[in-house]
Amino acid sequence: MSAQRVTVTYSGPIIFLSTDHWKQIYASLASQLPLRNLHWKSTSRNALRSIQELDVDLVALETLREDQAASQVPQTVLDKPLLNLYIFICEDSEAYRTQTRKQLKEWHASVSQRKNQEWLIVHVVRPDQSVAQGRLFQMKASVLDKVKADFNVDRKDRCVQLVWSADKDNPTVWADLVTKVKEGILSAFDAALTQREEEVKRSEGQRQMPGWNFCTFFILKESVANSLEGMNLYEDALQQYYELEATFFQVLREKNLSWFGALITPMATDDSAPLLSITKKPYRDLILANTISVFDFRVYLLARQCILLSKIGDMEELCRKASSFLSTFARTLREIEDTLPPFFIESWIYSSALSVVDQADEWAGSLQLDKAALASFNAAKGELVELARWQLDILGIATGFLPRKPPFSLALPSSLGEAAKVPDAKRASVSITNTELLAALEDQDALYDLYVNITNRAIELYASAGRRKFALKLHGTLAALDVHRGRMENALSTYTSLPAHYSPHGWTSLEAFMLNRALNIHEAAEKPKDREWIHVLLHFLRAYVEDMGRQLLMSEEDSAAYVQGLATQLKEAAQELDSETPFPDHPAFSLTLMEHNAKLAESRDGSLLKVVVQNKLPCEVSIDEVQLQLAGRENSRITFTSKASSLVPGPNELTLFCPSSPPGTYSLFSTQIATSRLLFQWKHTKTPKQVRAGNMPTLVHIPRDPKALDVKLKQPPRIELGTSRKVMVVLSAGRNEIATAAVKLGAPSGIAFSYDETEVVGEDAPPIRTDAEQVTFLDVKKGQTVVAAIPHSDASAYHYMKVNITVEYVTTSEPDIRRVLRLSRVVATSLPVAINVEDFFRGTRLFTAFTLSTTSHQHVRVRETQLLSQSESNGVKITRCMASKPSVVTITPSQPGRFLFQVDSVKGQARDGLKLQISYRMLREEVESLIEHAVYEVVVETPALEFLRQDMIDKLVQALETDASWVELYGVTGELVVPGVLTDDDELGAGLRRVLALLNTKRSPLSFGEWREILIPVDVPQMHITAAARLQILENPFSAGTEKSQKRTRPLYAGQPLSALLTVQTSFHWAPPEDVKVESYLMRYDIEDLSNDWLVSGRKRGDFVATDGATFTAPVTLIALHHGEVALPKVAVTALPIPGEHRMRSSVVPGCETHQVHGAEKVLVLPRGGRSTFFVSMGTNNNA
Amino acid sequence: MPPLRLNAVAFVSPQNHPILIRSFAQGQDELKYHYIAHTSLDVIDERISAAVASKSTECYMNLLYTMEDVAVYGYITPLKVKIIIALALTDSVVRDADVLTIFRALHTAYRHAVANPFLRLNAPIDGYNDHATVLQAGNGKWQTFRKRVDDIGKAVGVVGVTA
Repeated sequence: MSAQRVTVTYSGPIIFLSTDHWKQIYASLASQLPLRNLHWKSTSRNALRSIQELDVDLVALETLREDQAASQVPQTVLDKPLLNLYIFICEDSEAYRTQTRKQLKEWHASVSQRKNQEWLIVHVVRPDQSVAQGRLFQMKASVLDKVKADFNVDRKDRCVQLVWSADKDNPTVWADLVTKVKEGILSAFDAALTQREEEVKRSEGQRQMPGWNFCTFFILKESVANSLEGMNLYEDALQQYYELEATFFQVLREKNLSWFGALITPMATDDSAPLLSITKKPYRDLILANTISVFDFRVYLLARQCILLSKIGDMEELCRKASSFLSTFARTLREIEDTLPPFFIESWIYSSALSVVDQADEWAGSLQLDKAALASFNAAKGELVELARWQLDILGIATGFLPRKPPFSLALPSSLGEAAKVPDAKRASVSITNTELLAALEDQDALYDLYVNITNRAIELYASAGRRKFALKLHGTLAALDVHRGRMENALSTYTSLPAHYSPHGWTSLEAFMLNRALNIHEAAEKPKDREWIHVLLHFLRAYVEDMGRQLLMSEEDSAAYVQGLATQLKEAAQELDSETPFPDHPAFSLTLMEHNAKLAESRDGSLLKVVVQNKLPCEVSIDEVQLQLAGRENSRITFTSKASSLVPGPNELTLFCPSSPPGTYSLFSTQIATSRLLFQWKHTKTPKQVRAGNMPTLVHIPRDPKALDVKLKQPPRIELGTSRKVMVVLSAGRNEIATAAVKLGAPSGIAFSYDETEVVGEDAPPIRTDAEQVTFLDVKKGQTVVAAIPHSDASAYHYMKVNITVEYVTTSEPDIRRVLRLSRVVATSLPVAINVEDFFRGTRLFTAFTLSTTSHQHVRVRETQLLSQSESNGVKITRCMASKPSVVTITPSQPGRFLFQVDSVKGQARDGLKLQISYRMLREEVESLIEHAVYEVVVETPALEFLRQDMIDKLVQALETDASWVELYGVTGELVVPGVLTDDDELGAGLRRVLALLNTKRSPLSFGEWREILIPVDVPQMHITAAARLQILENPFSAGTEKSQKRTRPLYAGQPLSALLTVQTSFHWAPPEDVKVESYLMRYDIEDLSNDWLVSGRKRGDFVATDGATFTAPVTLIALHHGEVALPKVAVTALPIPGEHRMRSSVVPGCETHQVHGAEKVLVLPRGGRSTFFVSMGTNNNA
Repeated sequence: MPPLRLNAVAFVSPQNHPILIRSFAQGQDELKYHYIAHTSLDVIDERISAAVASKSTECYMNLLYTMEDVAVYGYITPLKVKIIIALALTDSVVRDADVLTIFRALHTAYRHAVANPFLRLNAPIDGYNDHATVLQAGNGKWQTFRKRVDDIGKAVGVVGVTA
């Protein structure tokens, strides 16, 4: 049915209508059409409807035949004109009154009677005329006013003036008229439509009455829809159809289908005709005749809706509606499938779906769709194409060209029983008409080609719509077709690539299905079971063990047996691998620790760890080895392994062994299950983020094995500064009889060890072998401890040296196991004491004072210090000052120790260096060895305590660590009172009590334990000149320098001049040997200026020549400035540069040390004579 | 009006992981419903982006698409768990209200199942607040949930949702 357009009639005086002027007006008026932007405020609809554009037919009133034979069939309300125009020119009111008015009256009479039509009188004036009129003094009403007065019966103004001339044709002059026209059309339309809707409503209300006919109602209602469509109100029109559809379903539900013919009366081309054509059958006539079939009716309804949708531009909804209709109505058709030609439904859906796509494309060609709309349009089209594809599946299965199994069988409607769709003879007389399908039914390849084409088309549409998952599904079916056609290569590549799309989101069911297919094809194609196959298989097993993977494997009768087969093949294939292939994080197995504490192997070195391997496969899996790695400090790794032959389904308990396991805490690093060359691996390290989230790493504690091989490092007991440093390596064999043990030391600080110069210390030393890399001990006996000193490069920059020890050892009992023990030890390199030296020269003697202070917070016990000369014969004689105390000196951080020595030497001899030997130990070491000693004594008494020995020691040491109150008492008395030890009444308690008693007794520190030694080389100091200056007050100016012993008889008074003698005795005794030849030096003395105490008169400063052993004297006079005990001024004696000798461009000053002989002397100065008055009380006068 | 028939139900996590897929149709291939659940996600994603654009907070996503003999409907819970049901296709109007009732029932069943505090027992700690991991952890132990869903499936067939 062609769309109805709005009709507007025009009329006017016949003379006027025949003028050229009218023709110009008409043309201009027509150019204003179509009307734009109409706003319809309907009385029955609450929202304002806007019509963008409205086509209007402008016809002469006469051409419309007024009284057509009124059809009983309701047409649209637009059949009749909505608006009648009367256009005239009348320039003066007289003419109007005489002629025009009459004509107008006639016209008005005929027009205004018509139902639901509006009228409008248009008075055309020339522009100049209106101007002229404006100029006149208007006594009379204008023509327009007259017209208005005559015809405007109600309030509505239906007269309009058009100021127009051919040469002034501009759109603005039309504005008034156009507005009026719009008003008129809308008002007429509204009235007409309201009336029609009333009728519809009335009819609908009578639905339950006898005699009501749905078809009649349909036509009536459709006329409303058509009217709306004619007004370009597509949404409203569509709404009418929706309402019709709803009513239809209601009628359908009431089973009141008497107005319809059969459900379907199949026509020859029904199955292949374009679905959305409303002209392929005379639908309206059929409806009017009440003979339309439900099929045709539904198709017609759908087509009308789709056409409206296409006009609205909602292509997506259009396609969706069509596809939904095809599916739903097909089900209805299935009920009477027996009466239809074979494959009628499939053919109908197939053809219709594709025709809808074509039609939609055609309609959409004129539309500008935005991206989102285009995508959804494509998606909807894709669905339609896919729908067509399903039909091919059904046909294929029915003809036997496709197998009856998934994914092809998915399309089979559930109602379709197992009975094959064999076209029976009765129905075969009529056949389907779609040529493509007919060809496909005949020819297998035609079907396949069609199948592939349609599928690809759908895939393309889905891809452009962004529906990846739909496309994937279709790819899957294409692969299935490839399989069926025997194109294994294609199918395999598709099936191996598809799972990757399903796995990321955990769609293991689909993934497993794809992988299963891939495996089967692989098998069928008899391809070699290579690495790729293993990967596919492993992925399959992964999907299989995950929960949902099993759901889709119904096809496998006995999945366990199937998996068993796969597992066996896996093992075989794994053997064929040319290299080790790791596969991370396979969920089929999992390895968990049963306990977090490893156990010692007891009988041999190493520890055992129990684990549970969970096998989630339903069958036994043969494996070779289970391995578990623990990570310790500084990236050290230890590996536990266990050979195992197979894993039964469910938990498997295994004990893993690690031959060399240093004690400590480790975190689980990785696990591995090896089957041939295939390695299942799991990493267990946690990222810092996980740890922060509370997901802690799994910890494993490995206990200390006291009987295992162990390596310790020590500082050598005797350290000699200046010689190469050594570190002692203590290797204790423990329970092992060691064949070879290669020790390698590495220091991260870059210290190099010279293994070549290794010395083995002690008796019964085993043979060693050294090379640049390591030192190897051979044949170490059980329980033996070997000590070797290895020199190393200078490490004095560090207080401590960190050494990584690697021991590789082989025991004689297990020659096959090469144990590698990695240990990290710290050994102190710095000395515990710091030494300061002070030298004091006194003539031919030298006093050397050593100050020892600890470098740490620890107390150092010094047993003895000795200053040793290389030999007695070199003229250096050392005397120990102070009779050395028998007891041990304790150096604390706050109290350094001083040790003084006197050195005498023969002049002029080359002096060899001296050595300071300090014999010391740390207080902690001493106390520990004391405790050990005491415990040992107790254990000797009661051997039963042997096994508690370490416990007792630990307990006591711990107690000492917590409290420092014992230190002082111990330092003074040597009694060790261990504070805060709680003793129980068991063996341990008894032992402890005994030990405590022993410790409580006084004991000389010299009687136990080892002492360390440091040898420090000390040079004999040298000095060119040693001077002894003396200021001596003489009895009188004339007395010569007197001996010290002479007692001064005269008192000294302040202000009194005192004669004094300055003497400087010089000695070259300690001059360096190379300068022994020098006879004299030029020197200068300078008496200190103590201006508060003394006035010095005389040669306060002077130069003199000093020779060895000579004494220079100079007299001075001193005046004491005040009385009291006053120290004499000091005398500074300095050497002057040696004239004429230069070194490095500066004069050479010989070294000189001066000591003040009178430094400690003080003189008593009495106050100057004068009078002093004293009052002495002579008693009291009682009478006064 | 013929009763609605529920052919399959699928619960999909916000990360598009399947939580539970149950099919009630007898003698049909499960694969079909796995496919349906999976492909529906595409359509749901389209709907979600459309809903975001229009700022709609509607849970019910209406008919997603029809396929041969099933009509697939979608529903997204406020926590973005997607529920997909496949109804047997009938040539009659399926009222949204009826479908919504089914969805509400399914949603309730899901909520009851997830409310089980012991679900989190085996969940890794770092994913404690992650819905999906909880669901994964509970996977395979959804017996009660499965039973509830099955009950709903049966009930839909029997009652047929009032006409």
